[in-house]
Amino acid sequence: MEKLPLGLALDLRKVVPYKTGSWRTQMPVHVMQTPPCTFSCPINNDIRGFLRILADKQDFAQAWSILTSTNPLPAVCGRVCPHPCEDGCNRRDMDYPLAINCAERSVGDYAIENKLDHRKEHITFRKEKVAIVGSGPAGLSCAFHLAKRGFKVKIYEAENQPGGMLRWGIPAFRLPREVLDYEINAILRLGIELECNVRVGVNIPMDQLANEYKAVFMGLGAGKGTRIEVPGDDAEGVYSGVEFLKQINSGKQVNLGKNVVIVGGGNTAMDCARVSKRLGANTSIVYRRTRVEMPALSEEIDEALEERIMFRYHTNPTQILAKNGKVVGMLCVQMEMKEADASGRSRPAAIAGSEMDIPADTVIMATGQAVDYDGIEINKRDEKWISTDNNLQTSIPGVFAGGDAVLGLETVSAAIGQGLRAAQSIEDYIAGVLESSLSRPPVVLSKDLNTVYFQKQARFNKEGLAVHERLKGMKEIYPYFNQDEIIKESKRCFSCGLCFQCNNCLMYCPDNAVNIVQGSGKYTFDLDYCKGCGICSKECPCHYIHMTLE
Amino acid sequence: MKSAVKFEKKNLLASGHRACGGCAQALACRMVLDAAGENTIACVATGCLEVFSGPYPDPSWRVPFLHSLFENSAAVASGVEVAYRALKKAPVNVLAMGGDGSTSDIGFQCISGMFERGHNVLYVCYDNEAYMNTGVQRSSFTPFGAKTTTTPSGNRLQKKDLPQLAVVHGVPYVATATVDDYQDLQQKVKTALSIKGPKYLHIFAPCPLGWGHAGEMSIAISRLVKETCLFPVYEIKDGKLANVLKIPLKKPVEDYLKVQARYKHLFKKGVPTTEVALIQEIANQNIERFNL
Repeated sequence: MEKLPLGLALDLRKVVPYKTGSWRTQMPVHVMQTPPCTFSCPINNDIRGFLRILADKQDFAQAWSILTSTNPLPAVCGRVCPHPCEDGCNRRDMDYPLAINCAERSVGDYAIENKLDHRKEHITFRKEKVAIVGSGPAGLSCAFHLAKRGFKVKIYEAENQPGGMLRWGIPAFRLPREVLDYEINAILRLGIELECNVRVGVNIPMDQLANEYKAVFMGLGAGKGTRIEVPGDDAEGVYSGVEFLKQINSGKQVNLGKNVVIVGGGNTAMDCARVSKRLGANTSIVYRRTRVEMPALSEEIDEALEERIMFRYHTNPTQILAKNGKVVGMLCVQMEMKEADASGRSRPAAIAGSEMDIPADTVIMATGQAVDYDGIEINKRDEKWISTDNNLQTSIPGVFAGGDAVLGLETVSAAIGQGLRAAQSIEDYIAGVLESSLSRPPVVLSKDLNTVYFQKQARFNKEGLAVHERLKGMKEIYPYFNQDEIIKESKRCFSCGLCFQCNNCLMYCPDNAVNIVQGSGKYTFDLDYCKGCGICSKECPCHYIHMTLE
Repeated sequence: MKSAVKFEKKNLLASGHRACGGCAQALACRMVLDAAGENTIACVATGCLEVFSGPYPDPSWRVPFLHSLFENSAAVASGVEVAYRALKKAPVNVLAMGGDGSTSDIGFQCISGMFERGHNVLYVCYDNEAYMNTGVQRSSFTPFGAKTTTTPSGNRLQKKDLPQLAVVHGVPYVATATVDDYQDLQQKVKTALSIKGPKYLHIFAPCPLGWGHAGEMSIAISRLVKETCLFPVYEIKDGKLANVLKIPLKKPVEDYLKVQARYKHLFKKGVPTTEVALIQEIANQNIERFNL
């Protein structure tokens, strides 16, 4: 007889485990949600995605291909975008938002250094042709996304070089020309035709485009400077902001004289002032309200102040003084703030008897921009901007529009975003299925996250050149970013709404009902045993696991 | 962001056990067994753990498992250890396990004997601060102020300091741990098993049913008890305090008390009573004693 050990011996192979999943009233599910950065980005860039690739794989090339799936101009946006993504970042509630903008620039710069190109192998070519009017950020973005969808795209540009306001409106110390040229050429290499020196509406009638092409995208931009009407503004030495920047950016010499006065408080005013300062002029900005009301970005106002540009707040020009038809000064009046007007900003009113005159050899009126509609008939809103429907289609069927000409004065990223959306609409229009549908999964908020698993960490700070170095010329003020520091910064990302393999669910499940799929880094729930306690959901740092009632 | 975290996951306490949803004891037991590895014998006292994991014919144990009486898991483990030595078998990790009732009250004399005789056994205590298996009766690990079925207006006595009692027995390795820091817990099991002689590991294990909190809160409560300094996490090696987990940002005890129904009577319309101040005093003593 077989000798049995004392006690009860069990053959585990015959054991049938008890399925505790039948106790459950709620079950965990993986739900991918929109992170607030992507939600705040006008282009909806996959910011979480590219930061994760940087953090996990240190792969800048793959990060670039993730970014350029939506934004063809990352090196440009990394320099001039006002980064609403960072305002949205949930990390701000713990320490500081991620330096997303710097990371984007670093990825864009990597692509330029390593001469990366957009991938063409997945494109299925189609015979339909689309015309793009204007090669600013909106037009370039629309052309890029249409070309990736296989359409034959041709861009008509009025000026002798592509880029629109990126080239003519932004000085080289903020956006070096070689960066702009690389990214534009990479877009054109997708097989996009570009014809410069053709002004649609003047050199070619609109009707011809509408007949020749299946669809047209109007990225006209707002490249015409508008001035406030002041007596004497026809004197020699008075420029509009865009006019002045365009002359400088196209390499023309401008004789500024000793004193330059800029009127206005927007980004164009800051750019004009900083260019004038670099040209050696004694520069001041005249603005009728205060810094708080200035539409320019706070960062750019700070940089202008660092560069010792004088700000005269509460000051409004009343007359430009000229001698022999040449500017010699500007008569101004002091203002005081009254109750808010329709724009929500407090209304300035002149103080009687406060007139003074400011010496000036050049006056730059950076007081507004408008669309140049020469030869183009289209429905407008407020008599100024092109009106469109939700799909960015204008009053003319098959003609779409986007960018500053539609939005009023907006950012580069807003224009790129509209170019992308117009490309989607044009594709639908050509396929005959154009419908207004834009839905996104819900956004992850700070309160949804379990931030105990993250530590406070300092934010990456970009370091600019010293002020005296900056003022020597048009050199870019923020030199190259260290890639290791950018990788370190990308590791600060909370990964809101998407798993980053922290293993919390795996380790904290009392029922071993979370399994890891070997090799993929993905987790699955074993619903035979999951009791629905909810620990995995509660302890998920990024709100990727949700509990749903059964 | 977490750095690469080392952990052991072998599921030696398998799925299918009948613990309540969110049970921290089941979780702690799996973490302990996975850290100890397959070459282990577990001697388990009567209590929740034995009840939910042991029923024939489908126990969840994937290592040899001996169920003893309420009071004698330490004595049974001592016998297993001696039998292995007497039969000159290859060494094996012998674990004795029990809940707080079995450890602090009923089985204490057997534990004391095991410590005194110097058996090479790791005793693991899962502390859920009352007799949960029999219906939430007070044990001598029930903390001050907590409501149980035998202390309906709150426990008037303080928690027994068993780790200190183990130290005075001359136990070479005594440690405390919580389930939220599984890396620390598993490291302590490995350290303990590398030392010859009796060892004592005290694991704080929230009980959703007995404490009156949602199952999903088990980990959060384990974290809160450390952050409020009511459960200091430390190691004592050869009688000397080592590796105390410092709490740089200490939270008030209310944060911990308010999330559990067993402390509900300590707040009248949300305002803490004087007992809360006494519990804060216990936390303050811990801060001073362990320099948290």
